[in-house]
Amino acid sequence: MKIHLALYGTLREVDPRGWLELEVAEAATVADLRAALVAYLESHTSNARASVVERSAFASRDSVLRETSPLPAGVELAVLPPVSGG
Amino acid sequence: MDNLRTLVVDASQTRLEVADAIAWVSDPRFGGIATFIGCVRGANLGRVVTGISYDIFRPLALHIFADIGAQARREVGDPLKLYIAHACGRLAVGDIAVLVAAGTPHRDEAFRACRLAIEAVKHASPIWKQEHYIDGDSAWSEGCSLCDAQSAEAGVAVAAGSHQHPHGHRH
Repeated sequence: MKIHLALYGTLREVDPRGWLELEVAEAATVADLRAALVAYLESHTSNARASVVERSAFASRDSVLRETSPLPAGVELAVLPPVSGG
Repeated sequence: MDNLRTLVVDASQTRLEVADAIAWVSDPRFGGIATFIGCVRGANLGRVVTGISYDIFRPLALHIFADIGAQARREVGDPLKLYIAHACGRLAVGDIAVLVAAGTPHRDEAFRACRLAIEAVKHASPIWKQEHYIDGDSAWSEGCSLCDAQSAEAGVAVAAGSHQHPHGHRH
């Protein structure tokens, strides 16, 4: 299935649209999406950006998702690099 | 929650106003109001800063601000009024980036609620800052991984207690 993944912080610079579309298996988990994003970044950008993903969380509009959670279908997701508000 | 006001404002259209926060938490029941005002600093790590651009995942940030309000209420009890606001977009040095106000009957609960809220906003909310320097360079700040928290509620708990920064920054 296709995942619409919004980009924030330093990862926003990966694509000027501010989002990516990644293909994952139907029963994919957050861990699978992380792996797909790392693979995309390693082939399209720098390894430094891929390493940021190792410390990033994944979220829907209303919650941070656990690593083992199945990806919710039809929901826009976001990748959240380490945060630095305030 | 009636006693919680949360905002993410577009800095190009709206300024955060301390008076608004204080007015919102004021109440005849309350003798204590604590505020935290976070402003853009003109220097960081030896570099002259001219401004900061904030990026925020707004819907999730507002959910987490609500979780922070619930956590503050569990910590200090009722009655409590809490105001949490953060600016999004480009700010100049001296501009207010984040504003927290807590109103309670006495000062101890107000200080504790205010401290809990600002720490959780900084450590557990989906907000990122990009510093702009006088030489024209810009850089995204290092931050706290939300993977360590895994959930907003856990993140609030981490922020309220001891919290280590293995990446060596201070904020």
